[in-house]
Amino acid sequence: MTAPRHIRTLWALPALLVFVSVALAQTLTFPQLTGRVVDDAGILDAATRAALTQKLAALETKSTDQLVVATVKSLQGTSVDDYANRLFRNWHLGQQGKNNGVLLLIAPNDRKAKIEVGYGLEGVMPDAVAKLILENSVAPRFRANDFPGGISRGVDDIIQVLTGDAEEWKRRAATVQSLKVSPEVNAAAIILAFAVMALIFFALVNYHSRRQTPGVARRDSDPWSWGSFGSSWSSGSSDGGSSWGGSSDSGGFSGGGGDSGGGGASTSW
Amino acid sequence: MFRTAAAAARILRVPVLLVLLGLTVSGCGINNIPSYEEQAKAKWSEVQNQYQRRSDLIPNLVETVKGYARQEREVLEAVTAARSRATAIQATPELVNDPEAFKRFQEAQAQLTGALGRLLAVVEKYPDLKSNQNFLALQAQLEGTENRIAVARRDYIEAVRAYNTELRTFPGVIWASTLYRAQKPMETFTVAEDVRRRPDVKF
Repeated sequence: MTAPRHIRTLWALPALLVFVSVALAQTLTFPQLTGRVVDDAGILDAATRAALTQKLAALETKSTDQLVVATVKSLQGTSVDDYANRLFRNWHLGQQGKNNGVLLLIAPNDRKAKIEVGYGLEGVMPDAVAKLILENSVAPRFRANDFPGGISRGVDDIIQVLTGDAEEWKRRAATVQSLKVSPEVNAAAIILAFAVMALIFFALVNYHSRRQTPGVARRDSDPWSWGSFGSSWSSGSSDGGSSWGGSSDSGGFSGGGGDSGGGGASTSW
Repeated sequence: MFRTAAAAARILRVPVLLVLLGLTVSGCGINNIPSYEEQAKAKWSEVQNQYQRRSDLIPNLVETVKGYARQEREVLEAVTAARSRATAIQATPELVNDPEAFKRFQEAQAQLTGALGRLLAVVEKYPDLKSNQNFLALQAQLEGTENRIAVARRDYIEAVRAYNTELRTFPGVIWASTLYRAQKPMETFTVAEDVRRRPDVKF
């Protein structure tokens, strides 16, 4: 006769879990989106912050993609994936309609990091590529307590993927991985040789075009030195957020500001 | 002259009144039930998409693991079986109005989640497999898909909550009992799968 009661208690458990997760969603607090680098955990020095902000602004000028770096003191009891998605949506990263935002979230006290990719960039940056960036460029530096180094390198890699040829990057990332895990260097050496040849080729092209039209070519080849970051940021952010009309009345991909559905990858160190 | 103007005004009065009536009524939320329902349906199809995406990853994953850990036949077969059980359930849009079918769908997917968890835990024993390129990529995709499932479920739960609330509260309840009598409350997830739990594996 006690069996039904047991079963009833068991069924109450999932209900309780739902309740807990709903309650959790309501009590999460998010830092203010004060800029492209929100260092709530205070692990970045001013110089690194400025350098990062400059790179991120240049990325948006070039591609309209919004990449934001956030460090938080705590994940407030939820998973890094959950927190990153909620924070991303809270900030509406990416342009409206394009959903081309990326969030690099670091929770140093929980030893967790996540790259959350907006809907519109899931094709450019698949989960596996995001994972490789975290595992190869970010986590090793975090393990050595080099947060500025890890974040800078991660941002560089993300920008490279977003602006460059994603296929080429995937190959390169794969090479780094196989160098790390397998002793056979033959294939890697060949690819490395190709990479060097490609570098020389691009350097030649760059040199050639610079000679032709010095001023213009220089600007094109080094877009990170462009000015007026502040103004482009404020316009970008209002683009992404202003016409967002609440979370529930926008359907799927075409809704208000930038949106994300949990794409990307996470790591711990 | 005067008579035609008065006639024109009289003729115009009807459409103007109709438009006014329409505006007033839509202000009362006559459109809420269908639009909330459409939103919930859209969220449901996203849930299905993501479960489908996970299902599509599995054959490749099983093959890759097999190459390194053939002796883990039991775990591999459990995944394959759970996958075919999950895909056997016709994930039609009507599923959301059928409590029994919805429960079966939810349980089948939960079993697949469990089987996959056990498979990934077993993989820990095989360093060669863990460093395999193909496996790493698949693992990252699977993790990403599980996250997308969690987000899609969350969005669906929220959309259904809004729809079901509209059906039962004023003024929606008026329209629900008159114009939209065929509209039924939708089923929602009861097991919080986005709460991460470690699968318990006995070696």
